[in-house]
Amino acid sequence: MGERAEAGRVRNQRSGAADGVRLAARALVYAALGGLALAAIATVVSVLGPVLALDLATPAMAAWWTVFTAVVVQGVPFLLLGTLVSAAIGAFVPERVFGRLLPRSPALAVPVAGAAGVVLPGCECASVPVAGSLIRRGVAPAAALAFLLSAPAINPVVLVATSLAFPGQPAMVLARLLASLAAALVMGWLWVRFGKEEWLRLPERRTSSAGSGAPRSRWDGFRAGLQHDFLHAGGFLVVGAAAAATFGIVVPRSVLDTFTGSPWLSVLLLAVLAVVLCVCSEADAFVAASLTGFSPTARLAFMVVGPMVDLKLIALQAGTFGRSFAVRFSAATWAVAVTSSVLAGWWLL
Amino acid sequence: MRRYGPAVLLLLSGAAILRISLFSEVYLRYVQPGLRPFLIASGVVLVLLGAVSGWRSARDRANHSHEGHSHAHGPRVALLLAVPALALLLSPPPALGSYSAEREAARYAAQGVGTFPELPAGDPVDLTLGEYTSRAIYDSERSLKGRTVRMTGFVTREENEDDEGDDGTWYLTRLLVSCCAADAAPYRIEIREADAPPADAWVTVTGTWHPKGDLGTDGAWPPVLDATSVKRVAEPRNPYEKR
Repeated sequence: MGERAEAGRVRNQRSGAADGVRLAARALVYAALGGLALAAIATVVSVLGPVLALDLATPAMAAWWTVFTAVVVQGVPFLLLGTLVSAAIGAFVPERVFGRLLPRSPALAVPVAGAAGVVLPGCECASVPVAGSLIRRGVAPAAALAFLLSAPAINPVVLVATSLAFPGQPAMVLARLLASLAAALVMGWLWVRFGKEEWLRLPERRTSSAGSGAPRSRWDGFRAGLQHDFLHAGGFLVVGAAAAATFGIVVPRSVLDTFTGSPWLSVLLLAVLAVVLCVCSEADAFVAASLTGFSPTARLAFMVVGPMVDLKLIALQAGTFGRSFAVRFSAATWAVAVTSSVLAGWWLL
Repeated sequence: MRRYGPAVLLLLSGAAILRISLFSEVYLRYVQPGLRPFLIASGVVLVLLGAVSGWRSARDRANHSHEGHSHAHGPRVALLLAVPALALLLSPPPALGSYSAEREAARYAAQGVGTFPELPAGDPVDLTLGEYTSRAIYDSERSLKGRTVRMTGFVTREENEDDEGDDGTWYLTRLLVSCCAADAAPYRIEIREADAPPADAWVTVTGTWHPKGDLGTDGAWPPVLDATSVKRVAEPRNPYEKR
């Protein structure tokens, strides 16, 4: 019996070694092929590159590429932070934790989750994957959505940036905090009352490879979740960046200056501008401060709407929650955010 | 190839981020200097993630070579990540220049007329375009008076394109970026007493303040400088205005 076990072990070892050799050989072949392909591409590009560049380098095209790349480069670190948090929630935080932390009734969970947005220091790219993983973890969608909206607008980094951009105007910081929080809570409660689960379509996350079937460790789940979420959200970030760059080229900001006369129009105009420009929530205060032709309320609307609804965010939400959700949710959020900033502006500014 | 798709995309993205942030300062064309450590960290994480992913795929394949395509592969929309990644790796887009500066309304510094801290010593004194602009328009003490200043920016020409006769008016321009290049807005200073270099050329201009209009009014815009010397220079490390 001992002999047979011994033989089995030897066989196993032998096949393990063979696997290793096969793997190494394959890696070598891939490296050689990949290297050849890369060398070929590099040669072609370096020969054709200057010719193509001349054709593509109309100033408008160059500016489009720069803005497009800039939005992606700016978004990647924050997106990665968000997906790290969301993958960690998915892999390491048991469901019952959220059940214990949040009130059972969704209507009560909304304000708790909304206020919890304070703890995620980042811009809006980070909050979408986190909210997605919260819903997967059994958090009431209304609460997760309140968190999604409040986190990028009321975290300390953003509030400090706002106070730097509006020196000597603490009312602006307070108005931003209150208007953003109010809009997030109202959206959460609206979802409790009117939201339909079927609008939400969270994509299946394939955390384990169907082929192996073996149960995987938590770290594997974390890695697979991180990889999937980043690639997925990253693709939609690229879509949003392309949209933002296109609007930036098609609609020059100077056109907007013609609308500064009417206070109502200017609020709506800056609320639309916030959607189109896709300025990250950590910097939008500086942009708002530079829009000096507009009333304080209009600038507040710019800062309240921007972190909640913008083109890249709509693309990210469409990717994470489904298209039918993103359209309805963004439209409603836009209206609620504008209303709440008008009220806050009328009260505080 | 599908099997290695996610690994390749992660490696490409990571390599692109590291190429612009760790191995060069190209990232300054797109974002603020403060983002560099975060970019480098993201690049490292992405490369590691891609390497582990590729290694896992290779191992799974060796272990289960007969189980066909049931494997998890990346979401298809992720392929779009290859576009900016390849652009950054092969030919990074240039910093924004006169095209963008002319499209955006000139930046009106958000402040009222008042006093400013004393100008630093030095002859000429080096200023950013923003500092010069706000002192020229809003300084009730007129601290620029009698001082020689030096500023660096690129050249933009008179915007009126329908105005056939180009009267040679040109501006020293620099874009201010608050977060990323998507929010660039220009500072613009009219340069007199010197011939216009070609548009988009980087120049260092030395000269003296030319007062114009009443302080804080529209008549004071844009600020004017009488140039004593205009020198062509290379594009600075950070092409945008210091914040």
